[in-house]
Amino acid sequence: MLTTPHFPLSEFMAVLPAAMLVAGAIVLMLSEVFLSAANRTYMAVIGLLTSAVAGLFALNNAFEPARLVLQGFAVLDPFSSFMTVMVCLGTGLACLLASGFLKHRNAERGEFYALMLFAAAGMSLLALSNEFITLFVNLEVLSVATYALTAFLRRGPRPAEAGFKYFILGAFAAALLLYGAALLYGATGTTRLSDLAQALPGAMATKAGLVYAGFGLVLAGFAFKVAAVPFHMWTPDVYEGAPTPVTALMSVGVKAAAFVALVRTFLALVHGLDPQVPFTLFALLALLTMVAGNLLAMPQRNVKRMLAYSSIAHAGYLLLGVTALFVPPTAQPGDAGGVLGATPLLGNAAVNASVYKGILFYLLGYTVTSIGAFGTLAAIERREDETRGNTWDLERLAGLAQRQPGWAAAMAAFMLSLAGVPPTVGFLGKLFVFSAAIDAGLIWLAVVGVLASVAGTYYYLRVVVYMFMRPAPADAPAPFRHWTIEVALVTSAVATVALGIVPGPVSEWLSRAGMVFGG
Amino acid sequence: MNFTVVPTSNYLILAAALFCVGMLGVLVRRNALVVFMCIELMLNAANLTFLAFARERGDMVGHLGPFFIIAVAAAEAAVGLAIVISVFRNRGTVNIEEIQSMKH
Repeated sequence: MLTTPHFPLSEFMAVLPAAMLVAGAIVLMLSEVFLSAANRTYMAVIGLLTSAVAGLFALNNAFEPARLVLQGFAVLDPFSSFMTVMVCLGTGLACLLASGFLKHRNAERGEFYALMLFAAAGMSLLALSNEFITLFVNLEVLSVATYALTAFLRRGPRPAEAGFKYFILGAFAAALLLYGAALLYGATGTTRLSDLAQALPGAMATKAGLVYAGFGLVLAGFAFKVAAVPFHMWTPDVYEGAPTPVTALMSVGVKAAAFVALVRTFLALVHGLDPQVPFTLFALLALLTMVAGNLLAMPQRNVKRMLAYSSIAHAGYLLLGVTALFVPPTAQPGDAGGVLGATPLLGNAAVNASVYKGILFYLLGYTVTSIGAFGTLAAIERREDETRGNTWDLERLAGLAQRQPGWAAAMAAFMLSLAGVPPTVGFLGKLFVFSAAIDAGLIWLAVVGVLASVAGTYYYLRVVVYMFMRPAPADAPAPFRHWTIEVALVTSAVATVALGIVPGPVSEWLSRAGMVFGG
Repeated sequence: MNFTVVPTSNYLILAAALFCVGMLGVLVRRNALVVFMCIELMLNAANLTFLAFARERGDMVGHLGPFFIIAVAAAEAAVGLAIVISVFRNRGTVNIEEIQSMKH
């Protein structure tokens, strides 16, 4: 006898932003077929409006109490709703960037914006998935759309190559994650994360091997998606080869969604395990990612590639925050030594609240900053560069302050924010994450993080030095100006500085209680 | 006729073997299409594991998973093969070692 579950309409509130994004994407695809206008800027505006409306609905959801919806397959909590707001912000800005960028290359098509909105819907749904099959399907919705976006431009060898590498490694990571989920299903008999958390302690008694194997595979799958060292190999090539607006969306949206899903998944998966195991694994990942990301970025003269490595380093700082969630509760003050030790200063509940706030604020800051930084590169890039090798060499930025003072000032703000210099949003994000880590007792790991980010200032400031203190090359090409790119750059520059000076209301919102369901 | 029930562990060993073959293939093989097939092997190993455990437990949720996985894998294959074709048009090869135009 089949019983039909009853879904009250309010349960669908959680997926409403994603549904709007999908509806916008369908409108865009139909308009590409039925409206043959020569000027397609209106498509970027449709994309922007759709993301704005979806973002407002998600913001509304963020003030609902945290709860399970849709039979426990999804979660409606402020953590995922704020993530959706950020994704919508990033997608809207990336649509604007893409408009000017694609117009300059005669490649502006409706399906590009549609794919962007599909990817955004996948990110939003990934953040609220509370079940492994749902999580996998949403991960693939966002990944498949991004594979296609990466290989969207068909001139030159780089986009296809980047799309290919992204596809192979992304599919590999998804398969690892899925096999891990299958093993965990075998150990516990459920794929719902909240049920897993309850079933794991019992399963550990009889099937510890299955649980640990599943845990490891799921962690490896996520580590690929967030580009943690040593699973970061694909990042520089993919970020370099993808069209710059797509790189911007990848560096903010895909990463943010994967981080939220990672936090949600592992908050459930650590139940019943020896707390030392997840803690050590996350601490190692954070340490390697922070240090290696910054060291690899240093010798890069190719600014786009440098930003790719810098995004690895930023994933490292976020992993530091995630590690703070998994500090073993048994650790006593004063009993830990070494970089991977912990001496907790505060109780777990207080630490977790500040970690969630830190991660969300950091992601918000990184969203506006990274969109702006890649956006400036997109604005400077010329169509003729596609077949040349040195498109994004530092020399191309030389003397930008004389040629385009506005862009140079914006780029300087983005670089300072990425480096973590006040009064920018990047500084506050780092402050929140590092102080949460110190509250959790990760003092040595936080010291390494601060040192790594100080070392990172070198390559960010080098860009500023080139823009302001080097003469412009004589053959510097005239930039292609388009109002959509300018609007996106101004918005992200203003947000970067304004959120750094007046974080007030936003950081209040992000520090609400009950941020994460069950966290 | 004497039907013996195949124990779950046999399915699990087969799935683990498929997964390992797939993973090794992704890491070792150089032809893009073979790598792609190896990824499909890994996904099918996950399917088989889900089904074997679901059969052992008599649980429908585990049977449900592979339907979604197969559908998603098909969508992934459509986009993936299109990208492989685009690489082939650009370079005339699908050998992974020759697809390295971006240098560090």
